Amino acid sequence: MKGCPIGIDIPGFIRHLREGNIQEAYERIREANPLPSVCGRICSAPCEAACILTEEHAPIGIRALERYAADLGRSRPAAKIAGRQGKKIAVIGSGPAGLAAAWELARQGFAVTIFESLDRAGGVLRYGIPDFRIPRKVIDGEINEILALGVELRTNAFIGQTMTVSELLEDGYSAVLMATGAGVPKFMELAGANLGGVYYGEEFLMRLNLMKATIFSRQAPTFRVGEKIVVIGSGNTALDCARAGVRFGPVPSRQGRCRQVALVFRRTEEDMGVRADERQYAKEEGVHFEPLVRPIEILSNENGFVAGLKCVRMDYADSEGKGVWELAPVPGSEFTIEADTVIIAIGHHPNNVVARGVERLTINADGTLWADGQTLMTSVPGIFACGNIVTDAGPVVDAIASGKRAGKSIIKYLG
Amino acid sequence: MNFTIINKQILADNIKRIDVSAPAIARRAQPGQFVSLCCEEGDERIPLAVVEADKDKGTITLIVHECGNTTGKLGAIPINESIFSILGPLGVPSQIHKKGHVVCIATGISTAQLLPICRALRRAGNRVTGIIGAKTKRKLMLEAQMRITCDKVYIATDDGSYERRASATDLLKNFLAKEKVDMVYAIGSAEMMQTVCTLTREKNIPTRVQLNPMMVDCLGMCGSCRVKVGGQMVLACTDGPEFDGHHVDFPDFIRRMKTYEEQTTWDNPRSRPNPKRNEPGTLTKFLSDILKG
Repeated sequence: MKGCPIGIDIPGFIRHLREGNIQEAYERIREANPLPSVCGRICSAPCEAACILTEEHAPIGIRALERYAADLGRSRPAAKIAGRQGKKIAVIGSGPAGLAAAWELARQGFAVTIFESLDRAGGVLRYGIPDFRIPRKVIDGEINEILALGVELRTNAFIGQTMTVSELLEDGYSAVLMATGAGVPKFMELAGANLGGVYYGEEFLMRLNLMKATIFSRQAPTFRVGEKIVVIGSGNTALDCARAGVRFGPVPSRQGRCRQVALVFRRTEEDMGVRADERQYAKEEGVHFEPLVRPIEILSNENGFVAGLKCVRMDYADSEGKGVWELAPVPGSEFTIEADTVIIAIGHHPNNVVARGVERLTINADGTLWADGQTLMTSVPGIFACGNIVTDAGPVVDAIASGKRAGKSIIKYLG
Repeated sequence: MNFTIINKQILADNIKRIDVSAPAIARRAQPGQFVSLCCEEGDERIPLAVVEADKDKGTITLIVHECGNTTGKLGAIPINESIFSILGPLGVPSQIHKKGHVVCIATGISTAQLLPICRALRRAGNRVTGIIGAKTKRKLMLEAQMRITCDKVYIATDDGSYERRASATDLLKNFLAKEKVDMVYAIGSAEMMQTVCTLTREKNIPTRVQLNPMMVDCLGMCGSCRVKVGGQMVLACTDGPEFDGHHVDFPDFIRRMKTYEEQTTWDNPRSRPNPKRNEPGTLTKFLSDILKG
């Protein structure tokens, strides 16, 4: 129970499931979680780590149970909301954090407008996560559920560029919530990172998710993916890129030869920051893992395209003799991986374009917005921030939890 | 929002001008900004410069060179049909100041990007000289508009089919030798902008360029439009597209542009030439047979 950042009544809904009441279980989850079937698929499941059975044998598969309940449960028509408040609230960004906040506010009767820069709502769920992890139908279902509460969605509105936050405040919005997440790729200081055939994870996933760039689409592919793909990084984005690379299928020009995908990262496999079962899926699909390897240089062919990746093996070593064992390159262990596509997915920076044109807004040195730890209010009264734009990185549950907290705090602020 | 195509016009070979109704964008667009456009749901997004923005009518004018799948699709949308989504205006507006004598130089399709900047510079009280280059006369576009906007226009074609036979950068070189110039504004291919910047660096003339790298989402989230400016990696979509030409790392930029060029010729043929076009048609064959006797 206390393992869940959103505060789902876990024993409660499992009890309902044991009695066979899927509907009751679903409603119990919905009380706390605005996106149950998304969480049931991609949650990092801190609850399973907190489960008391973890030490004895293995934790209860809470995530799978949640997914089961969320997929089979039917939502009731939106209950009549108690008294409408006249106040308008703008939520910028329709990712998990923004949706959670809009849900929290709309249930209390506020008129919420979500501003989204792309043409469909969903944020990172839509552009950053491939459809084999969350089917698009599931995202649409969850979003429709939230829009049914009376939330307005305005697409094609890139706040900070096509409109500014100050304009929103002048437009009659009593509070503005910035939930634009962390979507800017971290650039890698690697020789050859500007060669042809080098993509950042975001570009790769975006082309895949938003632009039907698969070989099955009726259009010509919008980008080139080679036969030997190397993915640099160890997070969920890197793993998604690698699995998507495998799922591209065989290279069209060479019938029958499958794409080889290697995942290169500096840490050990246990330190990857990805759930063990996700790792297992990737291995079963044929992703080749190269742990404890640091890339040094991307080699180029004569056309300016990727030819290979020069790496060095890493190992724990007590280099200074002080008893501090740290990862260090093993001398003389350089080797080259053949590659024609390199995907770099080493992390994100916060997307703070939204803050353009707002004076007196404090931005931290790492690009995140400063927000009060308790109320999530930024340095400007009436402007709140939640999700990864405040925390820089984090799983979906934390973003949802932060969105819910921001929603409650806005209600308190507006009194 | 409904983005209806109000008007279309063929300007030159494969180049179309499209007027789209988009009041919110027309109200805000400033010279140097662009929109990101998506013809159908799930299509590739393409960045296009806002050439004109009419606040009263609520329309924006885009000029598109049909050279690939998406641009071809956009060019094929008829009048009164609507485009799925247009996001804009994006990018940082151009820096328009009164400098004195400004030379604006562009080649090919980039003339469309240059026109609003010429207009703004002229409105700010500058003396504007335009230099436009094209491959042939058929590819030359917006000549009349440029002649109205600029104080003096020089035109160069690569094959000499119109005005002078020269490249635009050659004209600029001669011009810089003769006259005093306070600023140069260059838009065109990466190589052309590099040549311009080499010329102006010798004479220490401030130069602004507009880079047009490959963009995927135009929101600053994909990193495909990364360019090195002043030793720092910046994104052309949110930090640009206008930069100080003397700080841009052109060799790096050219390499990145070339990789995409090669890629488009590999996977996504730029234009599908009609294989029958080169061989003589039936009538020609018949006539030539008769003439040969």
